[in-house]
Amino acid sequence: MTTDAPQAPERDKLDLDKLYAARLHAARARPYLATALFALHTVASRQVPTMAVDRHWRCYVSPAFVDRTPVEELAGVWVHEVSHLLRDHHGRADRVARERGPSGPGERLRMNIAADLEINDDVFGDGLVRPEGVVVPQSLGLPAGALMEEYLSWFRLGPRTQHLAWLDCGSGADGLAREWELGSKGAHGLSEQERDAVRFRVARGITGRPGSAPEGWRRWAEKVFHPPQPWRELLGAALRSAASGPGAGEDYTYGRPARRSAGVPGVVLPSLRRRPPRVSVVIDTSGSVSDTELGSALLEVAAISRAVGGRRDLVSVLPCDAAARLVHPLCRGEGIPLMGGGGTDLRTGFARALRSNPRPDVIVVLTDGQTPWPTVRPPCRTVVGLFPRQGSDGSWDENDPDYVPDLPPDWARVVEIG
Amino acid sequence: MPTYTPPLSPTTTPSGSGGPAQLDVADDLLTLLRDTTTEPRPDTQLEALTLAVAADLPVLLWGEPGIGKTAALTQLAATLDLPLTTVIASVHEPSDFSGLPVVGDDPAEHGVPMAPPDWAVRLVRAGRGLLFLDELSTAPPAVQAALLRLVLERRIGALRLPPGVRIVAAANPRSSAADGWELSPPLANRFVHLQWVHDHDVVVRGLGGTWPRAALPRLAPEKLPEAVAFARRAVCGLLSARPRLVHQLPGSETRRGGAWPSPRSWETALRLIAFATAADSSREVLSLLVRGAVGDGPGFELLASLDRMDLPDPETLLADPANAALPERGDLRQAVLDGVVDAVHRKPDKSRWEAAWALLVRAAETGAPDLVVVPATTLASLRRADWDVPEAIERLTGTVSLSRRADRAAARAAAATQARR
Repeated sequence: MTTDAPQAPERDKLDLDKLYAARLHAARARPYLATALFALHTVASRQVPTMAVDRHWRCYVSPAFVDRTPVEELAGVWVHEVSHLLRDHHGRADRVARERGPSGPGERLRMNIAADLEINDDVFGDGLVRPEGVVVPQSLGLPAGALMEEYLSWFRLGPRTQHLAWLDCGSGADGLAREWELGSKGAHGLSEQERDAVRFRVARGITGRPGSAPEGWRRWAEKVFHPPQPWRELLGAALRSAASGPGAGEDYTYGRPARRSAGVPGVVLPSLRRRPPRVSVVIDTSGSVSDTELGSALLEVAAISRAVGGRRDLVSVLPCDAAARLVHPLCRGEGIPLMGGGGTDLRTGFARALRSNPRPDVIVVLTDGQTPWPTVRPPCRTVVGLFPRQGSDGSWDENDPDYVPDLPPDWARVVEIG
Repeated sequence: MPTYTPPLSPTTTPSGSGGPAQLDVADDLLTLLRDTTTEPRPDTQLEALTLAVAADLPVLLWGEPGIGKTAALTQLAATLDLPLTTVIASVHEPSDFSGLPVVGDDPAEHGVPMAPPDWAVRLVRAGRGLLFLDELSTAPPAVQAALLRLVLERRIGALRLPPGVRIVAAANPRSSAADGWELSPPLANRFVHLQWVHDHDVVVRGLGGTWPRAALPRLAPEKLPEAVAFARRAVCGLLSARPRLVHQLPGSETRRGGAWPSPRSWETALRLIAFATAADSSREVLSLLVRGAVGDGPGFELLASLDRMDLPDPETLLADPANAALPERGDLRQAVLDGVVDAVHRKPDKSRWEAAWALLVRAAETGAPDLVVVPATTLASLRRADWDVPEAIERLTGTVSLSRRADRAAARAAAATQARR
């Protein structure tokens, strides 16, 4: 137990009582973060401006900063620093740096600011005071609720961020090692597996008792071990597996003997023939989907279908009336056959696609979900590309605020686009 | 020996004065380039691969093209002293793996035997070897289905691969295989999936002439019974508490073609835990293996329960609080104290309650006091009317004042947030 001696000549004695009281307050205000808060190992350091973390879950604290900051603000800083580690900002910053080439201290400062913006928009309030001088998206004129990677592309260092230059959350926030850090060989660091275990326990605590955690943390807990994959890959995978499953694509046929029959006189071996799958794309959007999104999704489907089938004429498109305006020029440019107007909603679109001869093996539906779905499962595989509604909460209709669209049926493989 | 062909025209003579031929010089240069040294360096993924191969489980390496999966296999084969056979799955037909029919004199009498390909015959004749099935994800579904039998039953045509043959497959992830097929869930469930990534430093040092040499794990003969008991306790303990984890088909689009939990893959996980324990491998290796067998979510659950198994048992601590060894790390220490309070709550009596107080005092004196507050509050609420407050509580005054300080801060914070509204 340390006692504060005010007459001490140098102010490098860390007031642990005050720091731990702040941590206790933070753990009470955010019980789902308690495990992570207690997993941090504190190191007193006079080189740190305020408080900083490294990727091994050590927390470097400046004694002077603890002395001049009230307990309730220190609690906010604790939660802020542990959020950097839980959200893996150092790993993400390294990934960004790898994608965009080498980065100097200026770029790492931008990453630190962007990471702070991601945390600060919803971490304070509800029992935690916002510490003095923290950066929030509004102060840079940016929207709240985005991710570090998005904020990074929205602001540059300049006069508005001049006052943030002292800011330093350590390598835990931006991946750049600092001179005060103990590094991977130092004591009391957590190994990668231990860090994952802490993250996992925190996520389990949040998903197990979702009542108290805010929306941002709940989203984090769902995605922490399942990073979202790009929709192009998912759509491609869904389409490929639909087109290559049994009954579509390849099968054995006695119509042509196998080449290997020559080695087995007197026996007819069936050969594996590929019947290229036919894909019908039904497009039904109510104007809420942007043209570029819809266009890119359509071209993606066409490209994958051709890669699977190998022929241009096996993809056909049925625009339902709202989407026709955009789809017609696109299909003409790409040489995709159009099946006239598809009808007024998805159900007629489905019916028309299934009436065509020969019948499609796969129906791909590109929709925003504002539509009635067929009641019975169609006799072919269905892949649904679902555009999120352009709105605040996903479903809203100005004439009927209580309207909730039907979810896609469970016989379809659904991929969210965008 | 290269034969010397006379030059076609005077311009192409090798440097006139009987100097060495160009190709010989090129060979010398190639020899110089191949002259590299090795240095010892721990390699988690290679260690995990070695253990899975030693455990006789089919392994599937997921990795981008060109990052050295084959090189790792070559090194592994050399270390285990197994001949390496590489078969590229995507250029074969299903009948290559299920066998070609050979019609004899009287098929009705003798049946039609299915002839295996020559590489299988060689493997069986050698009795041991490492079979490497490359490019599995780009093979058409019919070929994958035929491979299923090879991987699962170890049968190829009429032959049966001897137990000394170990199978490793490689696949490119969907993001890099433009025309890849996905693995069907039944096939995916039979493999241990290892994500193969390159280490930037290793590549740079290797191109500079120094490649890493991993010390491969060795199984300790004296630890085998203990390892089996530990693995069984770990898996059974988790699955009896979480019955839903026993079988979960991959539901979401993102997790298809990867590992998922089923009774079969839990058995795989159990075997891998036993091997990793017997080889005294690090937690990183175990994490790769377990997650590769049953998938990320259940794998993390299992590792978290292993962490709990590593913590001291609350009953042991209560029996002897004076010599209790509490973990250093704050979050683990908090988990232990919570467990102790929970044990007292389940079986309350005066002596256990006092032992718990002694433990809390010990924790407050040897580490951060803030994590003692919540267990202490819970323990105080368990007090019966006829129990006296133990003297040890006097030594928790620091903790109490810390708690009050946090309360005051909370009150100020509430007031400040109220004022801001």
